[in-house]
Amino acid sequence: MSLTPHASLPRLAKRWCWAFLLLIATPGTVAATELEVNEARLRLLPGDLPAAGYFTLTNTSEKGVTLTGADSPAFGNVTMHRTVNQDGITSMQPVAQLELAAGEQIEFAPGGYHLMLMKRTRPLVVSDDIEVNLHFAGEQRQRVTFRAVAPTAQ
Amino acid sequence: MHRWIMALFVTLWLAGCSEPPWQTKDISGLMPPLAFELVDENGKDVNADQFLGKSTLLFFGFTHCPDVCPTTLARLDAATQRMDEAARDDIQVLFVSVDPRRDDAEALREYTDAFGPQFIGLTGDKAALDELTRRYRVTYGYGEEDSEGNYDVSHSSAVFAFNDQGEARLLIRDSDPMEAVVADLERLASGA
Repeated sequence: MSLTPHASLPRLAKRWCWAFLLLIATPGTVAATELEVNEARLRLLPGDLPAAGYFTLTNTSEKGVTLTGADSPAFGNVTMHRTVNQDGITSMQPVAQLELAAGEQIEFAPGGYHLMLMKRTRPLVVSDDIEVNLHFAGEQRQRVTFRAVAPTAQ
Repeated sequence: MHRWIMALFVTLWLAGCSEPPWQTKDISGLMPPLAFELVDENGKDVNADQFLGKSTLLFFGFTHCPDVCPTTLARLDAATQRMDEAARDDIQVLFVSVDPRRDDAEALREYTDAFGPQFIGLTGDKAALDELTRRYRVTYGYGEEDSEGNYDVSHSSAVFAFNDQGEARLLIRDSDPMEAVVADLERLASGA
């Protein structure tokens, strides 16, 4: 219970400012190689149904990288999958790893590659920012913020 | 006078022009009319006759499907949102879960509610699901369970469309352009 909320606001605001600056000033410093992630979104379904994570990953470095998986503090289990369609019948195949050559771009998009995120560790709602760590060969990690979107999001 | 000329014009137009072709896959006469005996998202036994009077889109899936099922349902939602209100009200989407083990009435209701009021969840026992999927020449199956009991379910990815009499009309695929889907659904809703 704060009796003087105004007095503590500037300090808090300053702290958030620093946090924000730090966040925008250090994109991708977690990973050693240069990787660009765009359109990171996570489509939520009701209850604790598995969510799908979509994004575009571009390897802007001069050498190849291998995406080996992902984790998220908001989920107990994150796996990579690919939807395959054979003779009109669709199913999901686990993806162990994906290699990206220098300059290559890969899309995790509806009907293809996607992250499957299961077992929420906390309640999530649409427009939440959700932290996901992408894993690459050689113990590299890249932290990405995914935006939670509605089931009807295209 | 003006009205008579208009009526004459419309009559001639209807008589003279054949309908334009469907833009998604026409299955008129190739697939049998809508028929099933399933359980709805309120736990009630239902049959296909209860859904006549509106155009019906039939899709097989399961709620633990993170990618394809929501993608298809979202596309159908987007397509119906682009139709005018009267036509939109004529469309109902039947989401038939082929995973009754995990998809009980409550799970189905919660799932379809997340997409919109026009989405209705149905499921049934193996015999009922086998009969319905065989009727439309599609299959479904279960993948291996992992250590935590999760498993994938294979299912057909296309949407079967029926007119308000329950006659098979279209097969709509995710690869069909949105404009084609909207145009065909509007035509379907107008009684084609």
